[in-house]
Amino acid sequence: MTQTTAIHGEKISLLRVLGPAHVWALGVGIVLVGEFMGWNFAVGKGGAVAALIACWVAGLLYTCVAMIDSEVTSTVAAAGGQYAQAKHIVGPLMAFNVGLYLVFAYTMLEAANAITLGYLVQTVGTMAGFADVHDKPFIVLTIMFLAWLNYRGVYATLTLNLVLTAIAFSAVVILFAATKPWTHDMLNHQAFLNGLPYGWVGVIASLHFGLWYYLGIEGTCQAAEEVRSPARSLPLGTMTGMITLLIAATMTWYVCSGLMPWEYLGQATTPLFDAARLTGSAPLMVLLFVGTVFSTLASANGCINDASRAWFSMGRDRYLPTWFGAVHPKNRTPYRSIVFLVPVAVIFAYFAPLDQVITFSILSGLLGYTYMSLNVMIFRRKWPLNTIRRGYIHPFHPLPALVLLFLCSVTYFAVFLGYGTQLIAMMIFFAVASLWFHFHRYKYVRRGDQFTMQWPRPAGY
Amino acid sequence: MAKEIYVPPKQSAFGQLFDSLFLLGLVLVALFAPLFLKLAGGGKIDIPVQDKSTWEGLGQTAQQAAQWVKLGFTPESASSIITSRFDYSFNPVELAVTILVIVGYFALLFAFSRSEYREVIDERFGRRSEQ
Amino acid sequence: MNQFQMLEYAAWALSAVLGLWMLLDMIKTNRTYDEDLLTSSKEGQIDDALVIDPPHQGGHK
Repeated sequence: MTQTTAIHGEKISLLRVLGPAHVWALGVGIVLVGEFMGWNFAVGKGGAVAALIACWVAGLLYTCVAMIDSEVTSTVAAAGGQYAQAKHIVGPLMAFNVGLYLVFAYTMLEAANAITLGYLVQTVGTMAGFADVHDKPFIVLTIMFLAWLNYRGVYATLTLNLVLTAIAFSAVVILFAATKPWTHDMLNHQAFLNGLPYGWVGVIASLHFGLWYYLGIEGTCQAAEEVRSPARSLPLGTMTGMITLLIAATMTWYVCSGLMPWEYLGQATTPLFDAARLTGSAPLMVLLFVGTVFSTLASANGCINDASRAWFSMGRDRYLPTWFGAVHPKNRTPYRSIVFLVPVAVIFAYFAPLDQVITFSILSGLLGYTYMSLNVMIFRRKWPLNTIRRGYIHPFHPLPALVLLFLCSVTYFAVFLGYGTQLIAMMIFFAVASLWFHFHRYKYVRRGDQFTMQWPRPAGY
Repeated sequence: MAKEIYVPPKQSAFGQLFDSLFLLGLVLVALFAPLFLKLAGGGKIDIPVQDKSTWEGLGQTAQQAAQWVKLGFTPESASSIITSRFDYSFNPVELAVTILVIVGYFALLFAFSRSEYREVIDERFGRRSEQ
Repeated sequence: MNQFQMLEYAAWALSAVLGLWMLLDMIKTNRTYDEDLLTSSKEGQIDDALVIDPPHQGGHK
């Protein structure tokens, strides 16, 4: 690992060592686990066909997210990603909320991954004939080990992610090829597809978990301060990640929906592993078991990376206690933030049920996307196209922003249908936290220092 | 130029600790309150079937039944999965309240952010009137 | 005690070791270095690597 690159006199900062492949691994690594678990709850919500529609509609939503994000991120490249963007474009309170969305979404996703991994180990233990098998030790170990890895340094962490993600993605592709999708030997969609059992309301409801196919892809820009050329690498890594996920999601749906009844698929914990079981091939079973384990590890790993960087950035700006804004002098990681978030993740993974944890993660993400659509419109208004240099300019503005806002509204309704109480609880939490920030916390924040970009004065101020 | 720079007070170690714990407590309450109040999750209903002890009675074709068997199910153990459906009926008043809360939250967010942002820009670039 | 239980205890032990490792290193680092150095990272340090053409930099001057 290279040292010394980022030392400016008596200052220390995060290390700038990552390339586009790492960005891809960070983005896809976090998300790919969604194909191994979680997406299939969309099938339960509205049937297999509804899940496919939700998959593509969510794909459209995330394409808008990726387009918008690429433009803003390639211009505002700083650790904390969307958080730093909100600070420059909308204002401090919005930034505080966005920072919380990020920490929430990723810490919950990390907890969900740990739960899934624990469940898999437990399943294997039970299959091997042991009685009284517990998943808790493995849940805790997963979080501890990955936090430790993150504590030690970002390069090793994301290089490991690259390997894990590549293997997990190959597992999906190999399973797809092995089911011979060009014949009807194994896959028989006519026997299992049953239209829309809930009608069109089921399609809307399934959009809730449709987000799970892609949730977290926007995490790529958290690493902005550690990427070698952020203006190029971040859009490239995000866009290729999006394409990878669209392919993987469609293949996953095709294999699973052609192999099992939708009633089963809609409540399975590890659908791709089950698909491998149904092919009757032992090597495929092993492969998909390994794929599931690796994808949960890669995802939790990326989540710790992203959540701690968002928390770190907020500490650095005094939105949170300044104590969190420290960088480890040797490892060059935001070490205090990493350590602080460990018990948070453990508490949720230990005590909360999986679908609740997933719902909180999805809701935090959804709030973030709503913000993005409004953010980009404000961005274009405060700094019209030729006033500052943008690394990438997304086409058809403001169409993507409006489409994104519309799809977000529909998804809020979908969450309302299934988890209305959590939706309200979450909104109250963010409202209370916002009031706390505005009336108490903000007095510790330096005003002008928050604006760090070399930009001209925004239009209209 | 007479730009007044806002100098924030230095926060004590105890204050920092308290603020961290306050946020942590708030997060835990938000997640666990719906769970403890047993309000989590949507309603479910059971659809009627002819016979819960055979695959035919559960409305499964021969091909579907074969896959259930491969996954380790019997008609008895699969019946609760097959007959369970989500209940998507809702109360329009609840929907209206939810919409109001979400829109209100974002309105509050943008309004406060706007006033704070103005201070930031004034301090960074100087007041409009001075230029 | 069967083998799986041993595995569970091993997992607990390893978790504890890694947790303590991080905690001790954090305390050691906090003691060894000056707080101002540790928190000296600034967001603006990104600018040198960003491809912005010079005439457009810093319109606030």
